[in-house]
Amino acid sequence: MVASAFEYVAAGSYDEAVRLLADGGDEAKILAGGQSLMPMLNLRLAHPELLIDINMADERQPSVADGMLRLPALTRHRVLLEHDLVRRHCPLLAEAVRHVGNVRVRNRGTVGGSLAHADPTSEIGSCALATGAHVAVRGPDGDRTVPVSELFVSYWTTALAESEIITDVLIPVGRPRQGWSFHEMVRRTSDFAIVAVAAMVELNERADTIAATRVALAGVADRVTLADPELLAGLAGRTLTGSTGDEAADAAAARIAGSLEPSADVHASGDYRRRLVRVLTARALREAYAHAAGAAA
Amino acid sequence: MTLRQIVLSVNDRDHEVWVLPSDTLLDVLHDELGMADVRYGCGEGVCGTCTVLLDGEPVNGCLTLALQAAGRQVTTLRGLMGPGEAMHPLQECFLRRGASQCGFCTPGMVLTALDLVRRRGQPSREEIRYALVGNLCRCTGYTKILDAVEEYVGQAAADAPGEVPS
Amino acid sequence: MTTVGPPQPAGEKQLTEQQAIGQSAGRYRVVGRSPAHHDFVDKVKGSLHYAADWRLPGMLHGRIVRSQLPSASITGIDVSAARALPGVVAVLTAADVPGNRIVEMASGGLAELEVTMPVLAEGRVRYMGEPVAVVAAVTQQIAHEAAELVAVDYEELPGVFDVESARADGAPTVHEVGNTLVIWQIQCGDAAKALAAADVVVEGEYRSQHVEHAYLEPEAGVGWLENGVLTLRVSTQVIEHAATIARILQVPQSKVRVIAAYMGGGFGGKEDMTVEPYLALLVWHTRRPVRMIWDRQESLVASTKRHPFIMRYRTGGSSDGTITAQQVEIIGDAGAYPNLSPRVLFAAAACACGPYRVPNASITSSAVFTNNVPSSAFRGFGAMQVVLGYESQMDLLAERLGMSRTELRERNFLAKGDLLPTGERLDTCVEIGQTMHRAVALLGEPARPSGPGKVVGRGIGCNRHPYGRTIWFRDKAAAWLSLQADGTLLIRSGVTDLGAGQAASLCQIAAEVLGAPLDDISIYIGDSALNPPAGGTFATRQLYMSGNAVLHAARELRERMAPVAADLLGVPADDLEFAAGRVWPAGAAGAALAGGADGGTRPPDAGGSGGVSVTLAELAAACEQRAISTAHLSTWRAESGSFDPRTGQGDTFPDYTYGTHAAEVEVDVETGQVTVLRYAACHDVGRAINPMRVEGQIQGGAMQGLGYALTEDMGIEDGYVQAALFANYLIPNAQDFPDVLVDIIESGEGKGPLGARGIGEPPIGNVAATIASAIQDAIGVRPAQLPMTPERVLGLLDARASRDPA
Repeated sequence: MVASAFEYVAAGSYDEAVRLLADGGDEAKILAGGQSLMPMLNLRLAHPELLIDINMADERQPSVADGMLRLPALTRHRVLLEHDLVRRHCPLLAEAVRHVGNVRVRNRGTVGGSLAHADPTSEIGSCALATGAHVAVRGPDGDRTVPVSELFVSYWTTALAESEIITDVLIPVGRPRQGWSFHEMVRRTSDFAIVAVAAMVELNERADTIAATRVALAGVADRVTLADPELLAGLAGRTLTGSTGDEAADAAAARIAGSLEPSADVHASGDYRRRLVRVLTARALREAYAHAAGAAA
Repeated sequence: MTLRQIVLSVNDRDHEVWVLPSDTLLDVLHDELGMADVRYGCGEGVCGTCTVLLDGEPVNGCLTLALQAAGRQVTTLRGLMGPGEAMHPLQECFLRRGASQCGFCTPGMVLTALDLVRRRGQPSREEIRYALVGNLCRCTGYTKILDAVEEYVGQAAADAPGEVPS
Repeated sequence: MTTVGPPQPAGEKQLTEQQAIGQSAGRYRVVGRSPAHHDFVDKVKGSLHYAADWRLPGMLHGRIVRSQLPSASITGIDVSAARALPGVVAVLTAADVPGNRIVEMASGGLAELEVTMPVLAEGRVRYMGEPVAVVAAVTQQIAHEAAELVAVDYEELPGVFDVESARADGAPTVHEVGNTLVIWQIQCGDAAKALAAADVVVEGEYRSQHVEHAYLEPEAGVGWLENGVLTLRVSTQVIEHAATIARILQVPQSKVRVIAAYMGGGFGGKEDMTVEPYLALLVWHTRRPVRMIWDRQESLVASTKRHPFIMRYRTGGSSDGTITAQQVEIIGDAGAYPNLSPRVLFAAAACACGPYRVPNASITSSAVFTNNVPSSAFRGFGAMQVVLGYESQMDLLAERLGMSRTELRERNFLAKGDLLPTGERLDTCVEIGQTMHRAVALLGEPARPSGPGKVVGRGIGCNRHPYGRTIWFRDKAAAWLSLQADGTLLIRSGVTDLGAGQAASLCQIAAEVLGAPLDDISIYIGDSALNPPAGGTFATRQLYMSGNAVLHAARELRERMAPVAADLLGVPADDLEFAAGRVWPAGAAGAALAGGADGGTRPPDAGGSGGVSVTLAELAAACEQRAISTAHLSTWRAESGSFDPRTGQGDTFPDYTYGTHAAEVEVDVETGQVTVLRYAACHDVGRAINPMRVEGQIQGGAMQGLGYALTEDMGIEDGYVQAALFANYLIPNAQDFPDVLVDIIESGEGKGPLGARGIGEPPIGNVAATIASAIQDAIGVRPAQLPMTPERVLGLLDARASRDPA
């Protein structure tokens, strides 16, 4: 299939891109990595009249400042895999990106593009949620930041206004008593996830019991979802070792699974997805805890 | 829609072409420039038959606009060959090992494998598998492709120990 | 064309270490070795031109308009908007097709209904994706837009989407003549009586799914008019469709020419016509060249698929493990049109009992119409799906009797001289027992589970797979060889090349017989106007048929030239050796070539006093002088026979390839995920003409089988394909499965050239049964439905848990 015809313009800056986007209205689309947009155009599922190429709009590299890992939105997936700052300060993301696409997709796909695409099975989206990340956004009315927990609204829909563009992704750098874990079920390596779980566990000052947890899930709803903190409250003050630890992790996982109504598709039924949530979340919690305890040791 | 004239540099040769903004790099390389080693397989970026190197990096030809390739270096499989159709050593390994049956996936496989070896030097068989995950093959079952790449890795190491192969 | 290797001395090519050398290598010079030559060189260089790599001046782009509903009547088609679009050159519908009826009669009319298939739907669509109109425009983009502008009015009709509903009384009919296309019966002995008397009876029902060939090269081709001849250059397995195209256009057969480009994979999906009739119509109508390439998504939805089967088995045995009876019912979903369904279901019936002796058998095999996408040929062709049936029964029987799986099989394996249920006697050796032991041996030491919640199991799967066409088709293949004046060799054969070395193998055989170096052989294939017909590439028939054709043509040519060579060399005509581009007195070649000498020649003189050897060029010249032709056309005919569909007795296939696969899997009992840890395959290939290519076929076939077993499913629901993106149709990638370990037996007793058996299809058959066997060993329950997804495996674990609570 070939895309229906469109015009093309390359923006030299985000300001220019925002202007072009505002002028173009809903007939204009941002072209970053193109790895999600172009297939849709090739399949004639979308018919924009103008593509605004922002690949030249920003040349910055990842940086760390004030306890935040700042990823320019145009950071390629491959860089997330390989960049020293990402591997050090957000190893969860570096690990999860291994499961995204393939070599070609990772050479071009961008972290900003991924979040803007808001695929409900997104590994990157689930990591952004689990780490409590924010996105910096530029629009016709200026700049603002949006917590990722408020970014995903529904299938392939974000809370961004029509002419807003993500410029940065800000991730709190990993802290000493934090551990993480990423688990996903795919039918075939590198596929879209059936279910993915990204878990962060933070230990107390004595580094033995749980102080906080965040669990983000992909493939379970119309968007990447943060597990209700209430459902994880029971883990506070606990360890996750031994059989009592396993039971606690499983109980929390079961509560989370029970709170979801995943739908079916060609790859899996809703029931099976719910069962996967339970199994993978329990595994992720145990692993994140062990990781935190080990890192603190 | 307006045609635009661009210069595409492919395998170290410049080509002046007129393209539509919506033309993909695959369309232009295959249909305009007659390059049979860049092929349509799916249009989704999943199969790898349209793989080309863009400034040395493997990309999906079907997901890259021709306009985006203007002013950059495009390399296809044939661009690896030397004068008089001399094959790149990796190609010779593919031939010798039976890594090509119907041949349709071969250009993408070779380019991706070459990129891997250039960047990683001595990848393990598992690392080769991971790198080739996005290059689908329906004929070989992958084993002889992995054998060919491993043979090349061994050869390249023997020829120039410690150096990254070109 | 170059052959790869270190710098060669003149004479025989030296072999590098990496070239696989087969067991036959000692008997032959070229056969039994694995040179890389001919099309494989172009493929690795990226210089091979596939069907879509062809452009002609003024070429248009064609696109099919397809039905969006699985069952509907067409109440109107409005092409005016499409025709009015600038850049559109033609929009054709059923009214524009001179002969809009294709009648397949795949079994030669032996037992099937006569059902026609239109090229463009007329008044009715019967499957989602059925072609309704076709468009040609100056660019691909305009062709797409025009296709979208064709307005078709549909009135939806009730449809049937599974074989059981289709067979029910009062079911909506897909075709007026009824929903059952054909029913085959094979009977021997008295199965009902034997089952009633059996010590043990095991019953099972097995279901398989719609799968897609997923060749990396989508359906494609270019057509043009040349000297009034409609010429198509397409990716096709069968150039003989030229006759059908002529009928569609209502022109004489001599006005149609089909050229088969080297395919980027076929697997049976390019055995029926794909783009051909649509290109032909557009070219004929516009009088301009037209190119058509199907979208991958179009191919996924609308191209032919493998027949899903329901297989119901009742197997009776004695307490010592001897099988006494098999009662088998097979129902295949033919989809909306016949295509090759009658033959597929016939092959299923003929192989339903597998590689075992069965004295009492009752086999019924039906093809049933539904409003799903049509099913047709796919590597394995019916004989493949039933392996899951008969092998599952064997494992269940073994479990019931407390016997080992291998012991039970050995007790029942066929042997040369045994009768098949059709009454045919096996006249070649059956080495299946050996393949079983070797496959199991390749697995090595058992693995331990990788962690808690994981279990490991091992399984095997044996099969008997036919090669060669069904015998009553009186199969034949022709080949033309010519020794040129400069001593090089030309082969012309109508064979088409799927990518499995169909063409290259013919060169290797010719090289063996005539001694021409591979570099000196050119082969021209797949042209209905210029090549002697070889029949299509399917049914694992090309090595058997065209291989024999080339073998015999080469031998006949050699025989004709031998007296001339004998005269030149001064030796008797039956005392010659053809090798390394020369003719020698028998025994002289080895010594000369081993020494690296170039085998010094003396120009032949009129007295024929003989030198050490003569070059093929000198021989050609001498033949020319004596008015002896150095070109030869030979037609090789396979044995023929007949089959009586009423008694279910008679001749089916010329011969079979036997093999066994073995696998070790790990099952995650919490998620149901199955990881294949080790996989091994052993087949008796008779003679490995090119061992490396034989290995490649086994590895590739097994990998396709692994996809079929574990991950591939079109997911058709109510006639709609759910897996309509390549991202959702899950074929194995490089990281999904381990290397397939291969062992090859060369019994030398096949009916192909030099004792070869076919190997293209057999290796895909064993896999699903092997994996099911391994899963059963791991979790104690046998999967009976494909693919064996994690969700289904988890379901089996749940069922076991509720059956035997811990």
